[in-house]
Amino acid sequence: MKAFAYVSPTTAKDAIAALKAGGIVRPLAGGQDLLARLKDYVETADTLVNVKQALDATVTPAGGGLKIGAAVTLDALSTNPHVIRMYPALAEAAAKVGSPQIRHQGTVGGNLNQRPRCWYFRQEEFVCFKKGGNRCFSVDGENQHHAIFGNDGPSKIVHSSSLAVPAVAYGARFVVAGPNGEREIPAAEYFTLPTMQNVKKENVLGDDELLTHVILPAPGHIRSGHYEVRFKESRDWPMAFATVVVTMNGANVASARVVLGAVAPTPWRSEAAERALVGKPLTQATAEAAAAAAVEGAKPMSQNAYKIQITKTAVVRAILEAAGKRA
Amino acid sequence: MAEETMQQPPAANPNEPSANAKKYAWTVPPAKTAILSHRVERVDGPAKVSGAARYTYDINRPGMLWARAIRSPHPHAKIVEIDFSAAKQAPGVRGVLAWKDPGAEVMYQGDVVAAVAADSEDHARDAARLVKITYETLPFSVREASSKDPATPKIFATGNTRPGQATDVGDVAAAFKSAAHVYEATYDTQVITHVCLETHGAVCEWTGDKLTAWVTTQGVHGVRQQLAAALKIPEANVRVICEYMGGGFGSKIAADASVVIPARLALVTGAPVKMMFDRKEEHLDTGNRPSAFSKVRAGVSADGKCVAFEAETWGTGGAGQGAQFPLPYIYQFANRKRAHLDVYINAGNQRPMRAPGHPQGCFATEVLMDELADLVKMDPLEFRLKNLPPTAPDAMWGEYFKIGAKKFGWDKRRATGEGGKGHLRTGMGVSACQWGGGGRAGNAHVDILPDGSVVVKVGTQDIGTGARTVVGIVAADTLGVPLSTVKAQIGDTDLPFAGASGGSTTTAGISPAIRIAAGRAKEALLARLAPSLGGDASKLEIVNGRVQVKGGGKSLTWKAACKLLGQEPISIDNAWEPGLSSVNTSGVQFAEVTVDTETGIVKVDRVLAIQDCGLVIDTLTAESQVYGGVISSINFALFEDRLLDRRTGQMVNPNMEHYLLASIADVPKVEVMLMNMPERGVIGIGEPPTVPTASAIANAVRNATGATLRSLPLHPHRVLAALEAHKAGRKA
Repeated sequence: MKAFAYVSPTTAKDAIAALKAGGIVRPLAGGQDLLARLKDYVETADTLVNVKQALDATVTPAGGGLKIGAAVTLDALSTNPHVIRMYPALAEAAAKVGSPQIRHQGTVGGNLNQRPRCWYFRQEEFVCFKKGGNRCFSVDGENQHHAIFGNDGPSKIVHSSSLAVPAVAYGARFVVAGPNGEREIPAAEYFTLPTMQNVKKENVLGDDELLTHVILPAPGHIRSGHYEVRFKESRDWPMAFATVVVTMNGANVASARVVLGAVAPTPWRSEAAERALVGKPLTQATAEAAAAAAVEGAKPMSQNAYKIQITKTAVVRAILEAAGKRA
Repeated sequence: MAEETMQQPPAANPNEPSANAKKYAWTVPPAKTAILSHRVERVDGPAKVSGAARYTYDINRPGMLWARAIRSPHPHAKIVEIDFSAAKQAPGVRGVLAWKDPGAEVMYQGDVVAAVAADSEDHARDAARLVKITYETLPFSVREASSKDPATPKIFATGNTRPGQATDVGDVAAAFKSAAHVYEATYDTQVITHVCLETHGAVCEWTGDKLTAWVTTQGVHGVRQQLAAALKIPEANVRVICEYMGGGFGSKIAADASVVIPARLALVTGAPVKMMFDRKEEHLDTGNRPSAFSKVRAGVSADGKCVAFEAETWGTGGAGQGAQFPLPYIYQFANRKRAHLDVYINAGNQRPMRAPGHPQGCFATEVLMDELADLVKMDPLEFRLKNLPPTAPDAMWGEYFKIGAKKFGWDKRRATGEGGKGHLRTGMGVSACQWGGGGRAGNAHVDILPDGSVVVKVGTQDIGTGARTVVGIVAADTLGVPLSTVKAQIGDTDLPFAGASGGSTTTAGISPAIRIAAGRAKEALLARLAPSLGGDASKLEIVNGRVQVKGGGKSLTWKAACKLLGQEPISIDNAWEPGLSSVNTSGVQFAEVTVDTETGIVKVDRVLAIQDCGLVIDTLTAESQVYGGVISSINFALFEDRLLDRRTGQMVNPNMEHYLLASIADVPKVEVMLMNMPERGVIGIGEPPTVPTASAIANAVRNATGATLRSLPLHPHRVLAALEAHKAGRKA
């Protein structure tokens, strides 16, 4: 790993100032992603800014919802009684990440901002679009884990954050602090589909900014469900997953959010699936119709068509969980 | 691999016992034994779990340097130039070494070209990146199919393929004519790597012209011989030490680059040098299990007798190594014919991996057996019973199938394809294994010291099977002293020669020598003590550490007795002798799985393993071998897959993130039934239990869903495709 300078500011303001140190500066929280990238020469840094002291590590009530500090660990998030009660899909997503070691070390901010787990991106030898190269190796390579949606752009990665999907489904807003103060961004607008201009990033966060909080709106009378199709029981990535958040009008769905994970370069909202749910009761038949709608328009690559079936299953099971019927 | 030995297991115990073997014959169950065949915990367990045990990775020497290899990023290229100038100027660098010279070819990604030594691991890594190697890239192939294709240009000097030994037994054409059913299918298994938790490596230190090498190895003596040859120095000047090792599975038998490079760099730098591979290097360049493809045609009679077998097989062992495997496996086809082709691809070479060839041959045969059983409408277990070789001490499958069926609840197995109604389907499968084992290479030295210490020296090593514990148990049981009295010394070429720990030969190789040496030591001790205990050594015995006159009378504590030795200890050497060990084992396994038909995910619910290995020395460590074998085979069945990028020839998953291995929660309930056969002597159990699990799992998936999986691993994409094909009435 290339040698780097290390600073440890204690306030968010100092941390943001430190990001302007010059050269390549990266914020370091739990380090579960960044340190591996540096060790494997996926990238190099001149300065690391330790933000563990500078960022909020608490979950606090706010406006009937919750304000979650970016430095809250995944373990703390998954075991927080307010999160479990109000946003169970978020708690479940956090509880399933990696391993106990990773969940105790990894943070909310780190999970939302982690780089792709694409096996080409993660190896120095493959200089892909995301590393300044001129190709995405998955196109005519080994693409069984790659995107089936949103893959028209230059890079075919799937977004790797488990928390991003429930965050979008619950209508979370992200607080971003920079040299010119704070701004709030809806979670759904935070993540970006790759274009030739922005392909080196997966979101709108500037190099001189920090994601400081996740604000979850008052849940009201929502019901939610979350299902991850996992081959292994732990230490693995979900093959596809879905979070479903609905409000009810009597026995029928009044409004719905269906968000898919591990299928596109961003958390992938399926408005077609949402339309298939609205006005209908939460039954197996509705769930299956919504799942079929969710995968309409999927564009599998040469080796990942199986993900369509898996995605459908995730949607069905998330809907049934929201209906209180566990698969 | 001699194919005929797979078909006809030799006699139960081919070894005519020596005089010593008769004299010091095992006292075996059901006779009362003090610790032999009991459940004995590993003597070094506490050291291992507390971190006190020092593995090669833990060895650090004063002034030690770190070495790092520079490897080819290309699957095939010619080295044009190696420029060390920038690396030599890098901080901390003390030495460089060209492993290959300009003009030579690299044959796979990860092929070693050069190495550097620096004062820290980080400096070595950084400097390695500064070695500038110019390559001329050459055509490559990373798929068996493209190497087999005559249109592919010649990549390997000896050609891209090499025909293996052909078999032709009986009248195959006539047998097919007479068969009631003829069936054709193709089966294949993938390349997997050894994934030793402790990676390959060594620490090498010269003192004058003498070299001490701490090596993570399965064979200290073999490594000494090969290292001396590579360095062109006398074997007498090399000492190899391996007190503890973190797994080898067949990949750590030879003195490879991970040993020779630090030895050479230690010589040029005049400092001790440590080199440990990282996980990526481990996947690329420390061996693997070859792939295996079997295009099979089989004929069966109306009453369920296998009559004809014809196969075209191929596989790759990498850039120049073979890919042989036994086929058909165990079951008897009176008329059979087979042609095999070794196929070379530009990928790391194979090395022996736990039961080389057997898991591959077992998979093709056992899945075929279930398909043939369906043709003749027989229960797959009944069908197997009908086609086994005759029952013998080393061919007990028929008995084990019956015992296992009862124990596992085979009668509750539903008809194939009727594994339930919803999306979760359950099913059962069965499979068999065999292995040779045995082993003859073991020498033991036993000291009984005047203070009562017993030291047993055997130049074997513990690959993880519990060798240190086995050495202690055999000596303590023979002498009649508690295990804690015996200090077992292993893992050092300064100790008496023992063979490499491979092929399930360690325990059978060393135990006879220890048994006889300890027996002779006991006799010598009693002879020396006789004058103090009534004068007749033949009337003395040692029971639980007490030396006493048989039937009562004078007795002495072990310590008091040994004190009578004065200044001259008892010191006995003995080699392996025939009669206390044997060869050839058999076993069967049952598996039950649940298949999620909406995701293609297979969960293994439980496994029953019935296995023999002759005389069981330590029930606990023997069972542990079976657990480990079963878990490895679950990984082979479901998870492991070395994936090479079709376009660049590079491995896409050289890590433990995308190269999947079971986590604790993925391991099912495993029940082990050890069939102790003390009358056969010691045999060995490392290999056989890892052979049949994967096939039993594939057959259980078939039973659960009706879909036949002829290709490993059972990744959801394969299972979903097979389910789809089954639904459409197609053959996957």
